[in-house]
Amino acid sequence: MTKPRRVRRLWLSLAAAGLLAAAPAFPSGFQIMTQGPRATGMGLAFTAVADDPSAIFYNPAGIGFQDHFSVELGAGFITKLSGDFTGGNPFPGDGANGTQHKTTFVTPNFYAVIPLTEDFKLGLGAFSQYGLGFRWNDPAPSYPWPGKFISDNAVIQSVDLNPVLAWKLTPAVSIAGGADYRMSRVQLERNNGLYDPLSNAVDDVARVKLNSSIWDNHAWGWNAALLIKPAPTFSIGASYRSKIGIDYVGDANFTQIQTGNALIDALVLSRLPQGNQTVRTHVEFPASLNLGMAYVIGKNTTISLEGDWTEWSQFSQLNISFDNPAIPPLDRTTNWKDSWAYRMGVEQKFGSWAVRTGYYRDKTPQPDSDVGPILADNDRDGYTLGFGYDTPHWGFNVADLYLHLHSRTIDSQPSTDNFYGHYSESLNIAIASFRFSF
Amino acid sequence: MTMRKSLSTAAASAAFLLAGALSAQTTFHKFVVVGDSLGAGHEGNCTVQRYQLRGASKLIADAIGQTDFEQALIDESPPVNPPTSYPCLGAVATSTGITVGIISQEGAQLNPGLARPYDNLAFNGGPRVRDFVDLRVSVPGRSDLDNYAARVLRNVAGSPFAGTNAVEQAASLNPDLMLYWVGNNDILGAATRGVVVDGVTLTTVADFEAKYTEGLQTILAPGRTIVTFNFPDVTSIPLFNTLPPIVINPGTQQPVIVNGSTVPLLGSRALPPDCPVAPCPIPAGTLLNTILAGQLMQQGVGIPAALGGLAVEGSGDLATALPDGSFTPPAGPLVPGVLLYPDEVAALQQRTVDINARVAAISSANGTVLVDANALFAGVVANGYSLGGITLTSAFLAGGLFSGDGVHPTAIGYAIIADYVIQAINGATGSAIPRPNIAAAMFTPNVPSFGAAVTTPGFVPDSWMLQLPYLSAAAPPPSAMPLVEATSRPASTRTVAR
Repeated sequence: MTKPRRVRRLWLSLAAAGLLAAAPAFPSGFQIMTQGPRATGMGLAFTAVADDPSAIFYNPAGIGFQDHFSVELGAGFITKLSGDFTGGNPFPGDGANGTQHKTTFVTPNFYAVIPLTEDFKLGLGAFSQYGLGFRWNDPAPSYPWPGKFISDNAVIQSVDLNPVLAWKLTPAVSIAGGADYRMSRVQLERNNGLYDPLSNAVDDVARVKLNSSIWDNHAWGWNAALLIKPAPTFSIGASYRSKIGIDYVGDANFTQIQTGNALIDALVLSRLPQGNQTVRTHVEFPASLNLGMAYVIGKNTTISLEGDWTEWSQFSQLNISFDNPAIPPLDRTTNWKDSWAYRMGVEQKFGSWAVRTGYYRDKTPQPDSDVGPILADNDRDGYTLGFGYDTPHWGFNVADLYLHLHSRTIDSQPSTDNFYGHYSESLNIAIASFRFSF
Repeated sequence: MTMRKSLSTAAASAAFLLAGALSAQTTFHKFVVVGDSLGAGHEGNCTVQRYQLRGASKLIADAIGQTDFEQALIDESPPVNPPTSYPCLGAVATSTGITVGIISQEGAQLNPGLARPYDNLAFNGGPRVRDFVDLRVSVPGRSDLDNYAARVLRNVAGSPFAGTNAVEQAASLNPDLMLYWVGNNDILGAATRGVVVDGVTLTTVADFEAKYTEGLQTILAPGRTIVTFNFPDVTSIPLFNTLPPIVINPGTQQPVIVNGSTVPLLGSRALPPDCPVAPCPIPAGTLLNTILAGQLMQQGVGIPAALGGLAVEGSGDLATALPDGSFTPPAGPLVPGVLLYPDEVAALQQRTVDINARVAAISSANGTVLVDANALFAGVVANGYSLGGITLTSAFLAGGLFSGDGVHPTAIGYAIIADYVIQAINGATGSAIPRPNIAAAMFTPNVPSFGAAVTTPGFVPDSWMLQLPYLSAAAPPPSAMPLVEATSRPASTRTVAR
C-alpha cells in the first residue's frame, strides 16, 4: 500500500470509526433523518431552525448565524420494536410467517462549526444519511424464513463526510454550499432454490452472500442551502442535497447446501461457482429538497413546519451483475416514486431547559410491486418528544421518536418477488448529543 | 312524513342497498369441468390419483370450497416391465445424470360406481372438440380415446350413461361454474403425430368452430359462469424443444463440429434440389419429438454414419433416418413421424392464431370468461415463472413446469394454471375465489407412494445435461471419426431411490 493511500485510509478510519460502531439500519425509504436530538425532538422540522451544529446536516446555511466554535457529538439508537410478516397464497402460502431480527443499531454523528470570519463559517459533518437493515429470522429451527430465496439479510451502510462553507450575506440571509463524500457498502444474503426432478419439488441447494467493503465504494455529491430571517421571530429555510450514485464492486460467495441426493448434489456442485466471484451493482441515492418555516411566539416558543421532498424516482432499479458470465444477473426494477414528508414541531424553552415535541407523516416511495423481503416500506407516522439543557458553552439534548409504519398487504400482481402477505413494523429511535462551544 | 322519518327511511334504504351490494358478490357452489387431459390433471403420460388430486381442476374446486368434487380417480401402481397399463414417465437417475423413465403405471379405477356423472369430466386420449359432442358411446379397447372416455364418461353400452356425451353429462349436474377446456388436441394432435395434414390430423377452423359452438350451446345456462380457454403455441412445448436438429457431443454438451460446421441429423424427407433422395439433412428450424426421436437416436437412427450412426445421406435407406411421418389420402394410412419440419411448424402456429381468434369471438358472443392460456404459456417460455425468488422454466424435466412427457404440466405447473384461471374468474365476475397455495406444490415432494420406482432407463437422452448415450466421449471430439463405442444403452432395470 502506498503512503498516500495509508494516510487516506487512516484519516477515513478516524472519521468513520464511531459511525461504524454498529450496522446502521433504519429505512425511511432507506433514508435516515434522525441526525440530531433537537431536530428529532421537533419532529425533524428543523430546516428553518438550524441553530445548532447539526444544522450542517439539516440546513448548513444555519451555521452562518452561529458565531462560536462548536462541536457536537451524538448518537442515535435505533431499535426495531416489531417486524412481522404473515404469508398468503400463492406464495409463500397461508400459514407462512416470519419475524425480523430485533436489535439496536447505533448511528453516531459528529459536527463542528468553525468561524473563519464574522460572515464565513466552516462546517464539518459526519453522519449516515442512508442505511438499510432488513434481516429475517427463521421462525423455527425446522421452519426456515420463507423469503430466504429472495433475501434474509439486506444491508446498506453509508457514511457521509460533509464539509460546508456558509456565508452570511446580510444579518438576515445566509447561504451555504458543501461537498458530500459518501462511502458505502451493500450486502445481500439469500439461498438458491433449484427444482429437483427426482422429487418434483424445489430443493435448497446453495447459500449466496454478496458483500462489499465500505472503503472501496464511494462517490461525491454536493449540497446547498439558504436560511432567511425576514423578522427576528420568523425564518424560512431550504436545503438541497444532490443525488449520489455509487458503483459497488464486491465479492460473491456460493456455498453448497447438501440435499441428501448424491446425484443432485453432484450436479449442483458441477454448476456452483467456486471461490470469490466479483459482483457489481449500483445504487442511486436520491436528491432531496427540504423546505421549512419557523415562527417564534414570544421569546420561548418556536413552532416549525416543513415539507421534505426526496427524488426517490432516481432509485428505479437495482441490478446486480457478476463478472463471471455463467452466473445470471439479479436484476430488479424498483420503480420508486418521488415522495414527500410533512413535519411539524414545537419547542418550549424554560430558561436553559427546553421541551420539544413533534409529529410527521412520511409517504413511502416504494410501490407495491417492489415490496418484499429486501425491504417492505410503507407510509409512516412519527411521534417525537425531547428535552435539553443548553448554555452558551455546552448543551445536552435527548429525544425519542416512535415510528409506526402502516401495515402493508401485498396480494396482487404486479409483484417483482411474487411474495405475498402482510407486513407490519414499528421502531423506536432514541438520540442524544453533547455540544461544546467556545 | 316528518324529516326524521324521511331520514330513517333513507338510512334503512341505504343499508338495504349496501347489504344487497355486499351480498351480490359472486359465489360458486357447483363446479364442473369438461375438457381434455389438462382438465383431467394428466401428467407424465398418465392419469393417476396422485396427479388428479394436484390438478388444476381439483385446486379450483378446493378454492371455491366444493367438498364433493368427484373425479374418476385412478390408483397408481408400481411399474412392471413391460408396462401392463399406461406408464407414468418421470425423471430417473442414471449413472451419468437424469433422464426420463417409467416410474409407475396406472392401476385400477377407484370409484367407478358413482351414481351420477363425475364433476371432472375431462379425459385424455387426445380428444378433439368433436369428441365432447359426438362421442356418445365409448368402446373400450377401440382406441386410447375410448379407453379414457369409458372411464370418465362411462357411456359404454349398457351403462346408464350410454348415449350421453360429455357436455350433456356436465349440464345435467347443473353447475354454476364450468371449465370448457377443450380444443387443445385439435392442434397438438398433429404435432405429436409429427404429421400435419389439414382436416386429418389438424382440425380445420370451420370444423373446430362448428363443434366448439355446438358443445358450448349445450352447457350455456342463465346464472352459469363458463370459462373458456385459448391455446398456446404447441411448438414451444419442451417435447419439441429439447433436442436440437444437430449432433451433440454428450461429453461437452456442445454441438459436434466438423469442418467448422455443425452436423445436421438426417431425416426421411427428401429435400430437392439439394437432396433429392432421403435421408437428407434436417433443415434448421425443424423440431424433434424429444421422446420418440430420442429413442430412435439411441439406436443410431438419424445419426450420420460418419459419426457412428446408421444413416447415410442420399442412400434411400429411410429406415435409418428420423421419420417425417406421412398420410396417404384419402383414408390413410397415417404413419406417425418424429419431426416437425419448418413448413409444418408454420402451419401449426398459423392454425393456433386462427383458432384463437375464433375462440375469442365465440367467447365474447356468449359471455364466457376467456382465459388467455396463450399469453401465460408465452410468458413462461420467454421468461420462466418466478415465485419467491425461485424461477421455474419450460425446460424439459429440469424446468419444473412440465412433466416427464414434455407436454403436460407438473403439479407446480397445474397450480400456476389454477391460480391464473382463478384470477381470470375473479377479474371477470367480481368473485373472490382464494388463490391456491403454489408454494405447497413447489416444496412438497411429489413421488409415488410406494417410494421407489423400478424403471427401464433410456427412453430419451439425458435431458438435463443433454447427454446423448450413443456418444460416450467425455472430451470434445477429435476430427477423426467415429466417436461411437455403443449404439444403445444396455437393457436393464434400475431401482431408483425417490
